[in-house]
Amino acid sequence: MKRALWKGRLVVAEHAVPVKLYAAVEDRKVRFRLLHAKDHAPVEQRIVRKSTGEDVAREARRKAYPIDRHTAVILQPDELAGLEPPAARELDVCRFVDAALLNDQWYDRPYYLGPDGDAARYLALAEALGKQHMVGIARWVMRKKRYLGALYLDGAHLMISTLRRAEQVVSFSQVEIPKAQAPRPSELELAKQLIESISGDFEPQRWHDEHRERLEALIAAKLSGRKVVAFKPKARAPQSGLTQALQASLARAREQDVA
Amino acid sequence: MPSRARSNGSSHSARRRAADSVDVPVRSFWSGTIAFGLVSIPVDLLAATRPRQTSMKLVDADGHALGRRFRCAKDGKELDQDDLVRGFETSSGELVPISDEEIEAASPEASRDIELHRFVPFEQIPRAFYVRSYFLAPAGRSAKAYVLLAKTMERTQRVAIGSFVMRGEAHLVAVLSDNGVLRATTLRYADELRSPKDIGLTKPKKKAAAAQVRRFTQAIEGLMRKTLDIAELEDRQAESLRSLAERKREHGKDVIALRGLVDAEEPEGSAEIIDLTDALRKSLSRKTRVATQDASAPREQAASVRKIGHARAKRSAATRDLARTSKSELLKLAAELDIAGRSKMDKQALVSAIRKAG
Repeated sequence: MKRALWKGRLVVAEHAVPVKLYAAVEDRKVRFRLLHAKDHAPVEQRIVRKSTGEDVAREARRKAYPIDRHTAVILQPDELAGLEPPAARELDVCRFVDAALLNDQWYDRPYYLGPDGDAARYLALAEALGKQHMVGIARWVMRKKRYLGALYLDGAHLMISTLRRAEQVVSFSQVEIPKAQAPRPSELELAKQLIESISGDFEPQRWHDEHRERLEALIAAKLSGRKVVAFKPKARAPQSGLTQALQASLARAREQDVA
Repeated sequence: MPSRARSNGSSHSARRRAADSVDVPVRSFWSGTIAFGLVSIPVDLLAATRPRQTSMKLVDADGHALGRRFRCAKDGKELDQDDLVRGFETSSGELVPISDEEIEAASPEASRDIELHRFVPFEQIPRAFYVRSYFLAPAGRSAKAYVLLAKTMERTQRVAIGSFVMRGEAHLVAVLSDNGVLRATTLRYADELRSPKDIGLTKPKKKAAAAQVRRFTQAIEGLMRKTLDIAELEDRQAESLRSLAERKREHGKDVIALRGLVDAEEPEGSAEIIDLTDALRKSLSRKTRVATQDASAPREQAASVRKIGHARAKRSAATRDLARTSKSELLKLAAELDIAGRSKMDKQALVSAIRKAG
C-alpha cells in the first residue's frame, strides 16, 4: 500500500471522476552523503557570496532568469509568487489524440490514477478509453507547479505520465541520414533472419541493474568487513565483412537457441 | 481545460523561442558501436530532448553571484573537493565511508558498445518504462550496416532491447527505427516500477454501467483531434518566466550579467546527498578522457546528423591531400558536402569543388 501524492477530480468535458494519484516509479538510486575525509563527519552546505566568501542568509537570496547568453534578470520574490499557478483540484483532460502521435521522446514520469471513493465513473472512463487507441492530454497543478501529462489505460488501471513540453522534443525531421549504399536483398534477408532468431517477448525482469547490484554488494561487504573483488567484463569478438558477420551471428544465435 | 484563447504576443514569443532552441547545438557526447550480432555499427549519440527553459541562477538582492561551499559539521572548517569522501548512510544512521577506488571497482567497465540482446514487438513496451531518448547518428565511413538494421527493424516491426554504459552508468535501452533514423530510449529497470498491486490498487470486481461508458465515449470523441496542437503542449511556466523577465529588461530593471552565475536549483535533492551518477562522473572523467580522446573530439557543431556528416567531411577535406584521393572517395566527400552536380564532375573539378566547400 502506498500513500496517494494528490487527490482531485479528473475532468473530461462535463464529466468529473474523483481520483487519487500515486507515484509509479520506485527510486532505487544508491545515494551517498558527503563526508569530511579526515574525521568522517557529514558536511554542511552554505551559500556564500562568491567574491567575499561571506554567508548569505536565505532571505537575502534571489533568483535570476537567464534571458540570453549574456544577460539575466533578477526576479523578486513577490514577482515569482505572482507567477504561481492558482491551486486547483482539477486534472483537466483537454484533448484526445491517437497514441502514436506522442512517441517515447515525450514521456517523462509515470503515475497511477486510482479511484477515490465510488469507482463507478472511474471504471466507465477506463472502459471507454480502452476501446480507443487514444491518449488524453491533461494539465493540472500540484504543489504549486504546473504539469502536463498523457492519460492512458494500462491493463485495468488509468495511468498518467508527465510529458516533456513541445520546446523540449527534438524533431526527427531535423535529422538526416547521409545517403548510403543500399543493402543487398541477401543482406536484408540475413538481417531479418538474425532479428527473428533473437526475437522474443518484452520481459523486463530479465534485465537487472548490475551496476547498482554490485554497488549494493560492495556496501553490504563493507558493512560486514569482507574484502571487495573487482568486476571483470568479457571481451568482444573482432569484426569481419557485413555478410560474413551476419552469417556468423546467425549461426551463433541458432546454436544458442538449441542449447 | 478548454483550449485557452492565447494572445498573439505570447504564442509568437513561444514559437520564436522554440525556433531559437533548435539552433542550440545538440552535442554528441557519446560515440560508440551498436553490436548487432557480430556486426558493428558505429554511431554518435545526440540528445533527442532538450532541458526545460525554467532554470534560474542564484544571486543576492544586488545581483552578486552566489556559490555553494562545504563545511565540516564537526570542526566547522571550510572544505575543498579533495577533503571530501562519500559515505553511505545505513538504516541505523551510521555513516560508512566509501573510497573512490571502491566505487570505481564496482562501476561498469567503460564500454563503447550498445549490445543488442533481444528484438521485441514495440507495442509490448509499456510507456512507463521510457526515461530519455537519444538519436543515434551513423558515424562510420559507411552507413550501410546502419541502414540495414533500421530497415530490417521497420520491416519486422520490432525494436531491440539493449544495454550500454554512459557516464559511468549502465543503461537499459530500446533501440528503434523511426523513419530510417535510429533512436535509443533508455528504459527503467523492472524493479524501478511499481505494479498496481504494490500501490494497493485491485482489479475492479464490478463492470462499468453501459450507459456511463457511452457518455464517456461521447465525451472522448468530442475532444478528439487528428493532429497535435503544439500550443496545447507548450511550456507555460517557461513562457511566463520569460515574458516577466523580458518586461523587466525593457524597463532596465534588475538586469545583470549572466557570467559566473550558478544554478539556483540544486542538482537533485540536497547537495549534501549526492547520487552515484555524479560521483562516478567525477571519478570516471579522468579515466575516460584518456580512453576516448578520439570519441570526445569537438563535435559541438553537430546540430544534426547531416551536420555531423558534413563536419566530418569538412575536416576530412581540410586535412587530406585531395589530389591523391581516389575519385570514388572524392565523390563520397562531395555527397557528404552536398555539392551539386558532383556526379558529372571530373576529378579535377571535384577537388576544387571540395576545397571550396571545405
